[in-house]
Amino acid sequence: MFNLKEHIVKKLLWLVLCLVALPAAALDGTEILKKVDRNLEPESYEAYRQLIDIQPDGSKKESVLYTMKKGRDKVVALFLAPPSDKGRVTLRDGDNMWLYMPDVGRAIRITSLQSVTGSVFNNSDIMRIDYGAEYNVEATEEQKDAIVLSLKAKTGEIAYDKLKMWVDKQLLLPVTIECYAASGLLIKTLRFSNIKDFGGGIKRPATLTTDSPLQKGYKSIMQWSGLKKATFPDEYFTLNYLPRIAELRK
Amino acid sequence: MMFLRKLRGLWPLVFLVAAGGAQAAEEYSFDSSAFEKKPFEFGGYVELKQEDFALNRSGAFYRLNNVGQPQRDSLDRTTGTLQLTGKLRQGIGTFDCSTNSTLQRDQLSHDHDHSIYEAAYSIRPTPGFTAEAGKRSLKWGKGYAWNPIGFVERLKDPNDPQLAREGFWIANSDVIFNPGGNLQTVAFTPVLVPVSSDVNSDFGASGHLNPAAKLYLLYRDIDIDFAWLGKGSRPARFGMDFSTNLTSNFEIHGEWARIRQITRQVTDGTGRVTTSVGNATSYLLGLRYLTASDTTYIAEYYRNGTGYSEQEAQQFYQLVNTAFTQLQQTGSAVLLRKALALSRGSYGRPNPGRDYLYFRAQQKDMLGIVYFQAAITAMMNWQDRSYQVTPELSYTGVTNLELRLKFLFLHGGSSTDFGEKQNSRKFEIYARYYF
Repeated sequence: MFNLKEHIVKKLLWLVLCLVALPAAALDGTEILKKVDRNLEPESYEAYRQLIDIQPDGSKKESVLYTMKKGRDKVVALFLAPPSDKGRVTLRDGDNMWLYMPDVGRAIRITSLQSVTGSVFNNSDIMRIDYGAEYNVEATEEQKDAIVLSLKAKTGEIAYDKLKMWVDKQLLLPVTIECYAASGLLIKTLRFSNIKDFGGGIKRPATLTTDSPLQKGYKSIMQWSGLKKATFPDEYFTLNYLPRIAELRK
Repeated sequence: MMFLRKLRGLWPLVFLVAAGGAQAAEEYSFDSSAFEKKPFEFGGYVELKQEDFALNRSGAFYRLNNVGQPQRDSLDRTTGTLQLTGKLRQGIGTFDCSTNSTLQRDQLSHDHDHSIYEAAYSIRPTPGFTAEAGKRSLKWGKGYAWNPIGFVERLKDPNDPQLAREGFWIANSDVIFNPGGNLQTVAFTPVLVPVSSDVNSDFGASGHLNPAAKLYLLYRDIDIDFAWLGKGSRPARFGMDFSTNLTSNFEIHGEWARIRQITRQVTDGTGRVTTSVGNATSYLLGLRYLTASDTTYIAEYYRNGTGYSEQEAQQFYQLVNTAFTQLQQTGSAVLLRKALALSRGSYGRPNPGRDYLYFRAQQKDMLGIVYFQAAITAMMNWQDRSYQVTPELSYTGVTNLELRLKFLFLHGGSSTDFGEKQNSRKFEIYARYYF
């Protein structure tokens, strides 16, 4: 027997379910990633960063870098400390990366997976450009407090083939990022914390912590300070400028 | 009193709590103000090095360098080095300098040396233009062990390519612009190198103001340089280099240089020296490959256009033998003086041969220890098949301290490049502290 009441209830339930599911379906992962990029930092900025590498025995090694970024894919980072690394400069222009060492006196090409500091952070972490410039959003999943973005590298030149990014729903800032190799191996996990107001409308995590199953017991921390919007001429992001980057700071 | 005594007993706890608090504060506080640009900066390093040489008493260069000296099988040398760097800024100008002082002692001599490596004043009126004058070490080329287009620099030591080198007194400028599109960067560097009896006297013949220039292009992810040195203290030369990544972990590079009308002296076994003038072409091809396990491989082939072929080098070694035979049999040192003079010229260069192969493998975080690196380097004279192998270990895990241990084994028969060197083995250890 056809039960009209039951039929109407079923239809209503289906409608409610569809309405609930609508915001998740409407989530545009690419738009979210764009917002994450801009909430993390302005497209062009300068900042100071401290890297702390902690070894299994608790001993630490600290580095300080001055960073300038222009547009979506130009980054230069100057080591200010420790004295053994002072004056080293790394430059990234898209997929190209170079390292300048004062004693060597010229820039050599380096790769994104290397680490110039011996840190769990590699060169692509230290000279990170916009996530949206390197990754496409493959899937978007909504959880209770977070949106989970599954990202796939646009080319084989990118350090991590896939990222799984947990984004804070309210702030649209990353909370945790898992970095995977093409084989599916988890290379490292990045954890953002300590949200701080840097002024100029920039409110973002001031601390990034990472560890890796490949380097058990080691941990690296990156802390931001003096992050502000800035504009730079293109000339600063060239090999000839690397010995003079220290002079560009205000 | 009892209360105070109890409190005193708790001091380790107080210390722990204070230390824990300090650590917590330290973990999440970073103030960049301490690192802002200062008008004056100062730094450098101090190094203590111990070298033990096993001397190659049958080698041509040992015999030439130790004529009339007590003969030895080994030599122990201790070297203390102080390298200072300083920077002074005012307005758009910057003065920077670096000095190198060494104090050396072995069983044969005590020696000390103080050199200004660099001392230059530069101004940057616009982002795309920098002008500079003073002593500067310009390093051109993409090669790791050799640089055929290093036209205005002192020779690199292939055994320690990353070592700082003394510059020349020059005036130079940099003009940089970014046209966009496939040609991402263009940078032009004109240079003037004055040479007189007091200035840059080791660059070449005095009385010349030598012009040189380099044009750098970043074209479609390829670094390309064109370099030129005008005729003056040295014969004119021009060349180019390139470097690019084939994949993110695989880089290739190359250099090519043409020296025009260079004078070349070649001796035969009797000491008859033939001088010829002609063009010479040098080139280098190399690669750098990084594996997933952080092993870096560097390989290079170097064609030294001004170098000596195996037969030419053999004639020189034969001359050395003849010279000593003559000295012993007749007491005449005529040939010996000739051989000695040649050994202080192009026959005595670190790499006098014509074809060399270079290979280096370095493993980062060896045995899972971060900052611990192991490397092995091999260099071969391709024509006579003599070679040297250099295993080394280094550790940089203590802030500002670098420790390095290195062995050098030379192998080659009689009348070969590495078989006739002054040393057959070398052990080196140094500690370098940066401040």
